[in-house]
Amino acid sequence: MKLVVKGARIVSPSEIAENDILIENGLIKKIAKDIKDPSAKTLDARGKYALPGFIDMHTHLRTPGREDEETIETGSRAAVKGGFTTILCMPNTEPAIDNYEIALRIRKEAEKIGLLDIFPVGAITKQRQGKELSEFGQLKKAGCLALSDDGSPVEDPSLLRKALEYAKLFDLLIISHCEDLSLSGGGILRESELTAKSGFSYIPEIAESVIVAREIELARFLEAKIHLAHISTNRSIELIKRAKKDAIRVSAESCPHYFSLSLEDIAKNFDSNYKVNPPIGTKEDRQAICKALASDIIDCIATDHAPHTFLEKEGTFYEAAFGMIGLETAFALSLRLVKERIINLEKLADKLSYAPSRILGLSDRGLIEEGRRADIAIVDLDKTWTLTEEKISSKSKNTPFLNQAFEGCVEYTLYKGKIVYKYTDDHIR
Amino acid sequence: MSEWSRKHLLGLSEMSKEEIEAILDSAKAFKEISKRQVKKVPALRGKTVVNLFFEASTRTKTSFELAAKRLSADVVNFSSKGSSLEKGETILDTLRNLEAYSVDIFVIRHNHSKAPFYLSTRTQASVINAGDGLNEHPTQALLDMFTVRERLGKLKGLKVAIVGDILHSRVARSNIWGFSKFSSQVWVCAPPTLIPKYYSCLPVKITYSLKEALSGADVVIMLRVQKERQSQMFFPSQREYSEFFSLNEENAKLLKEHSLVMHPGPVNWDVEIASCLKEKVQNLILEQVNNGLAVRMAVLYLLSIGKKYEVGS
Repeated sequence: MKLVVKGARIVSPSEIAENDILIENGLIKKIAKDIKDPSAKTLDARGKYALPGFIDMHTHLRTPGREDEETIETGSRAAVKGGFTTILCMPNTEPAIDNYEIALRIRKEAEKIGLLDIFPVGAITKQRQGKELSEFGQLKKAGCLALSDDGSPVEDPSLLRKALEYAKLFDLLIISHCEDLSLSGGGILRESELTAKSGFSYIPEIAESVIVAREIELARFLEAKIHLAHISTNRSIELIKRAKKDAIRVSAESCPHYFSLSLEDIAKNFDSNYKVNPPIGTKEDRQAICKALASDIIDCIATDHAPHTFLEKEGTFYEAAFGMIGLETAFALSLRLVKERIINLEKLADKLSYAPSRILGLSDRGLIEEGRRADIAIVDLDKTWTLTEEKISSKSKNTPFLNQAFEGCVEYTLYKGKIVYKYTDDHIR
Repeated sequence: MSEWSRKHLLGLSEMSKEEIEAILDSAKAFKEISKRQVKKVPALRGKTVVNLFFEASTRTKTSFELAAKRLSADVVNFSSKGSSLEKGETILDTLRNLEAYSVDIFVIRHNHSKAPFYLSTRTQASVINAGDGLNEHPTQALLDMFTVRERLGKLKGLKVAIVGDILHSRVARSNIWGFSKFSSQVWVCAPPTLIPKYYSCLPVKITYSLKEALSGADVVIMLRVQKERQSQMFFPSQREYSEFFSLNEENAKLLKEHSLVMHPGPVNWDVEIASCLKEKVQNLILEQVNNGLAVRMAVLYLLSIGKKYEVGS
């Protein structure tokens, strides 16, 4: 099986160059001008850009237990539609991904569907209860690259210390959902002028930053790696900036909704689709996140794709579940940063692909480079489209961007050299 | 002469001074009716009003019920304690079920901020906010303003001090929006734990000193202190709270001759207000109840006739 991608402008973190890509046996065999191989099929990508397939360090696929919200299959389709070829799915499932069997089952099912690579994130503690460590070695064997208790963060710092130490044995990455549950308890919106004016129960910014500070100190002291999930506040960024200056091994992600939205958007109509945890911040937070992406204080963009059924998002802002889907809008929202000249396209390729590949130690992907895997997103930067419910491949439709127009879309997604998604105006499954 | 065009009464934050005046003017006329031998008028005959209370309430509900009945509306009371989701029904389901009876006005109380707003976007009927979470309680503020205007003859240029649990008070917030629209200066006074961090973005002055709040105040609104706030550590004890934040004979001297002391009720005597002031304060509290009826009649009336009403006519 050979394929030549013709004439795409290939985006790498350092440059953009127009070339052909010869793909053979799922790998990038050759990058050069005018590749002619009569035995290969061709994909005309003239005028388009080729980015390394996106890597999402933070999704929720709800399997096992909540297949009414998302399945591995619907999640896979949503992911490749968004240009993703590798995703990590969080363990807040029912039951939690805290053992070999469940982790392996997810790997196997994903392989069977075969649209992209899915790595389950194992739970740090059994049943994510913050009491006993899961069997890290078994989780590693089943294919986990990282561990996290996600929305139920490890509260006990001495237990987290042990997790960070023990994880070194298997080179597993600990991902921390930074939230002090006692400070955030019961809140639904960022504590702000909006909550002062509207009486909504609130989550203060320090609910995130005090734990960011704690994680940084643990990582420093233990000389351990730690990855901070969905960073949403300016103050957290200040702390991470300082930590990086001190050469502490901390990495961080933020999500499209944090650099695209602010409290002003919520105040318009209190649509429960804006309800997400950590909560959307102020305009200043939003600007700080944009800046931190540009300056690499925030290493990568993750979606925190969190599907919920219509009923779970119905009701008042209080009653609705936290979370929004994000796989299918991540690229278009990130591209807005390029259009607004906050980052360039090369940087975008870093944030969506190369940086997460480095953080996860996936050296076989993340770049369009000879010898690497042929995981490629071919994108059109100008094509306009509107996000409608029918167009969403995810099983859930909970997004505040519904019926909004976007500029720029994924045209083709190649996974190991195979076309796993192709854009059509009337939408492909 | 401006026309009434508002379909819902969701909060004072979004209302203009003129709209508030229209309600107060109309309430004045309805207060007269309450003094008549026959207290009923046919203004809302054939209309259906549903009191949709998702949170316990006796005084506000009674007031709305009586107001609707005095206007000859058909009134249905619906109460559901706690979250409607506990019963497996969403509040929207509840609303839609009742709406099938061709309801004209829903009076809604809910423990979630903006719940009446949420429902107002999903019903044909008018919605009146009878208290939503910690957001607003507009008719309570309107009756406070009505009382002040009646007693002091104006709403402009006053010093209004609100003392107590500001953090958990929707009454405080509605009063701040309301009074500030008439160029009165509202002060709030409480221990720092009971004032939201970003409260200074409201048109309000903040002080921790009761003396400063009371000095020269034309109106003092003493808020009820819920017993559970002590166990939630907002203050160490009720004894200490009352030492620093209750209105007593001594600090009442800082007030003016004409100053009004109000309380949304029910009062915890000796916690918010010293019992020696009971006599003095009680009458006004009862008058507030009566004014509340007039204000709610006015609100029901204005929303039901919509654009036909002209201010001053």
